[in-house]
Amino acid sequence: MPTWNDKFPIYQQLADVLVAGLLDGEPADGEAMPSVRTLASRYLLNPLTVTRALQALGDSGLLENRRGLGHFVTPGARERLKQAERQRFLGEEWPRLRTRLRRLDIGAEHLQWESK
Amino acid sequence: MSEFLVEAVGLSVRYGSKAAVDDVSFTIPKGRVVGLLGHNGAGKTTLMRALVGLAKPEGKLSVLGLSPRAQRQELLTSVCYIPDVAILPRWARVGELITLMSGLHPKFSAERARALLRRTSVGLNDKVKTLSKGMVVQAHLALVAAIDARLMVLDEPTLGLDVLSRKAFYEMLIDEWCDGERSVLISTHQVEEVEALLSDVLMLNEGKLVLSTSLEDMDRRFVALSHDPAVAEQMAAAHPLLRYRVMGGSAALFDGAPPDSVLALGQRVRPSLVDLFVALTRKPELDRTQF
Repeated sequence: MPTWNDKFPIYQQLADVLVAGLLDGEPADGEAMPSVRTLASRYLLNPLTVTRALQALGDSGLLENRRGLGHFVTPGARERLKQAERQRFLGEEWPRLRTRLRRLDIGAEHLQWESK
Repeated sequence: MSEFLVEAVGLSVRYGSKAAVDDVSFTIPKGRVVGLLGHNGAGKTTLMRALVGLAKPEGKLSVLGLSPRAQRQELLTSVCYIPDVAILPRWARVGELITLMSGLHPKFSAERARALLRRTSVGLNDKVKTLSKGMVVQAHLALVAAIDARLMVLDEPTLGLDVLSRKAFYEMLIDEWCDGERSVLISTHQVEEVEALLSDVLMLNEGKLVLSTSLEDMDRRFVALSHDPAVAEQMAAAHPLLRYRVMGGSAALFDGAPPDSVLALGQRVRPSLVDLFVALTRKPELDRTQF
């Protein structure tokens, strides 16, 4: 069973999982999200929790709720997410990572860029 | 008809002089998954029996707008129930049970039962006695979920099942039963496991209802703070409901937000149902607040 942490409300954690999917293009822009029931049984969550997560993504403009048809990925959502994630990485994660790399004396030449 | 599937006001069930359910009031709207939690002997089974007309209640109780005792027959066409002592006849084949149910219950759909069973590894020709415990419970759920009812009452349905069988059971319940209209009341001891499935929780302690809330309201009402052991005394002074250990430190659970000075000492975490259960149903002799 999926495990949820005690830090954040479960709907928020599900929203994060769905956002990670959107970043990978699942589903792609303009396509339909899985139904509330599908998500509820996939993640073993109460359907109301799933609805709240979808609403949260709707509020942030990533999904559109078409009455009676379900939620669809807003065109351009993936690109916007990617930009936001890039900014977060460059602004927050990279400085920390850079400090750590310097401490360990790791330069660009030590890093494997091609994944095997 | 009332907007609630279940409405109880001042409901008690007595066995002799002892009140197994003691003056409880609650409602169950449609489209909910309600967890009924309590220690052994807290009154869960008795409450469920009252809902389906098997125990004689005092006070006001209406289920689907009906009186469970006086209008039991009518009620049972729209309520399905798996008691904690549920058994399927060992000698019967699953297909025969479907035939039996078709003859017994006006709202039972044999076609739907067969469709539900296809989700499982249970075959129509299997005899009940050849099935594992997990398969029997799944077959049972398939049989009652094939009743076009509006309320399902499940008394510890997953007791004694391994984790995979429990998962399959809950999947079928969410997938095939919860459609936003029908509700289910489910009692269990596996509090952690069902938390994410529930929309609401009813908590019984020695017959009394100590909590009746939606999970959404629970997140808002109760505040859990993880904190450094060094500030434990200040936390204790703010009278939390419960103090407990979390990974890497201690935590305190409050009913309502504590003063800002206390909030500032810790980091807010999601209050878990298990912690709340321990806090609200502990017996004095098991008091864990002092450690």
